Amino acid sequence: MTDREDDFQPMPRARLSGLTRRDALVAAALSAALPAGLARAADAPKGAPIVLGWVGPLSPPGGYAEGILMKDGAQMAVDEVNAQGGVLGRPVQVVYADTRGQPAEGRAAAERLVQENKVVAVFGEFHSPVALAEMEVFHRYNIPFMACDVWSDEVTAKGYKEVFRNSTAVSLIDTIIGQWMAAVGFKNVAILVEKNDVGLASRVAMGEQLKAKNIPFTPVDADPNLTDFTAQLLRFKSATPPYDFFCTEFSETGTYDLIRQAKELGFALNAKCGMYNSGGSSVDPTFWQNVGPAGIGLCTENVGLPKSAWNDKTRAFATAFKKKYNADATGAVMESYDGAWLLFEAIRTAGSTEPAGIIHALETTKYVGTRGQYAFSTDKDPAWHYHQFMAAPLTIIQYTELKQPVDAAPILWPKALATVDYLYKPPA
Amino acid sequence: MTSYLLVQALNGLVIGVIYALIAAGLTVIFSILKIVNFAHGEIYMMGGYFGYFVITLLDIPPLPAVLVAMALAFALSVLLERALLSPLYDPRTERKSDYGILVTFGISILLRNLAIIVFGPFPLRPPSFWPGTLVVGDLIMSWDRVFAAGAGIVILVVLLVFLARSAWGQALNAVSQSRESAAIVGINDRLAYTLAFALGGGLAGGAGALVGPIYALSPSMGLIPDTQAFAIVVLGGMGSVGGAIIAALLLGVSESLFVALFPDPTRGLSYAQAFSLVVLMAVLLIRPTGFFGRAHTAME
Repeated sequence: MTDREDDFQPMPRARLSGLTRRDALVAAALSAALPAGLARAADAPKGAPIVLGWVGPLSPPGGYAEGILMKDGAQMAVDEVNAQGGVLGRPVQVVYADTRGQPAEGRAAAERLVQENKVVAVFGEFHSPVALAEMEVFHRYNIPFMACDVWSDEVTAKGYKEVFRNSTAVSLIDTIIGQWMAAVGFKNVAILVEKNDVGLASRVAMGEQLKAKNIPFTPVDADPNLTDFTAQLLRFKSATPPYDFFCTEFSETGTYDLIRQAKELGFALNAKCGMYNSGGSSVDPTFWQNVGPAGIGLCTENVGLPKSAWNDKTRAFATAFKKKYNADATGAVMESYDGAWLLFEAIRTAGSTEPAGIIHALETTKYVGTRGQYAFSTDKDPAWHYHQFMAAPLTIIQYTELKQPVDAAPILWPKALATVDYLYKPPA
Repeated sequence: MTSYLLVQALNGLVIGVIYALIAAGLTVIFSILKIVNFAHGEIYMMGGYFGYFVITLLDIPPLPAVLVAMALAFALSVLLERALLSPLYDPRTERKSDYGILVTFGISILLRNLAIIVFGPFPLRPPSFWPGTLVVGDLIMSWDRVFAAGAGIVILVVLLVFLARSAWGQALNAVSQSRESAAIVGINDRLAYTLAFALGGGLAGGAGALVGPIYALSPSMGLIPDTQAFAIVVLGGMGSVGGAIIAALLLGVSESLFVALFPDPTRGLSYAQAFSLVVLMAVLLIRPTGFFGRAHTAME
């Protein structure tokens, strides 16, 4: 195989097609592998469907690559639950709403889901500003909302009883990244964040940790749609004293350009200056195809369970997802899949689709999903703790080889889950 | 400091050439058809994907692949123009500018969403034209950028020569000045419109194929260059190819130097795009038609 052939990875066509017989068999096999508590009667569900809503970016300018993956994960959950007999004996139907990463469209989509589609609960979303707009609608109509991959603290800090989050939050993730950078002992850190509420909040959270250890840092904001960072990288490179770590919070398509440009210009991801990318793009399926050798040594986070902590559901889902979509299930995909199952279980526990029952069931859930056992905090000190999954998994990994899968990359942090005895290894 | 600024300026110049390639196509279309083509960024995107698939599926080397991508973008533009823009030339059509905006806006949404379905949502990257990095003193630049800039300059020179010296270039110029007068002297204005739209599309497609190895290809890759190209076309003067090229180079260099020199190092990058709009506003205050624009820009 030539290098060129090796680079070519056409998108799996299966993503575009509907449910095939083989998919149904996989779903059936998967349902058989699930714990007995989840495996209900295999009779075909009857009656009016329970309609749920899903929100997220499925087209530009939003993060549609992640959005489409999350939708795939959600649909797998729906196929599985219907193969098991549905919920309360009724089939489950999900209406997918494309928000294009735009708050105004998210708000309109939320209105449509509630008013026209009569959804009983909603899950999904990838962009915090959009989730914040949608939440206002769900709060007004008292519709439970499971926010799946939005990190802004504000999502839960608003204190809306309808809103839950099964992903991490900025104050959880960036505090951990900041603690790790401080523990490694970097001397001078350049920070580049996307200019939105998550990016700006993350630079504050990371900055607090670095300040506490007296580590100087320079934060820079960038438009999320930017693809050419050359001028800024050259400015970083010319700084005195030189930076020894480049931490980026950037999740849009420009992420790969940023990593490659930093390498090409000799600024970062070398022996003198390491690099971190937060946001999810660095664990996406086409990461290596886009960055090539420039990705070796990159540190990033995995918001799924580390492989050593995978449970039966994680293994079954990862296998089924890989088989169906020819892609590894990222943490965001598992969040969307678990988000659906959390709502199914809440409706079952409540015995109805009444919002109060679903909310109470979510507040007391002990559901075990692909990302571990869920429990949502009910304390409000600080405000963002409210309805937050406080034990959301997060590990910092570092790629050490070309085309290394996420699950094979060494875990650096937290120490309790580390698979290597060092905190950071500069690339050769 | 001098070396730092020189490096920044050279990088800006390379980005400016890429801007120029996109903007030149946009201004060719505007000067002849008198419409702002909102689908230009998506033709640029399609050119990038054409290049990618020509290289990876047909195993054509990157340089000829750029030419094939240009040809395919040219053909796609012919199809779009013939199928959807004909009402522009019908004397019964009122508010032609509005029609042009709506149709090209629709084409842009269609192509972007088709790209997600056909090419997939994830960024793709074709192989390098020329792997490695050019290092001369403090100047570090990937060979792909050097190649893209060089090829971009060649394409722009060919375009200028074509417009100034060839019979068809002169015919396009005549139609841009007066469709009716051009028709009286025997110029097929309908063909001129098709050629102009396709030429603009071919240039955008070539730019997309050239930047493939530099920036990741994605269905949304046309959004930012499209916005920049509009600013450049206005700055250079609506309908002036030379003006667009000069404005693109100026904008590329000035944006780069702005980021390099802005006193607050934490804000330079985030203000860079706003800076280009400030430049645009300042120029328009002094010269309302841009550097080389004409006063009359509506379709007859």
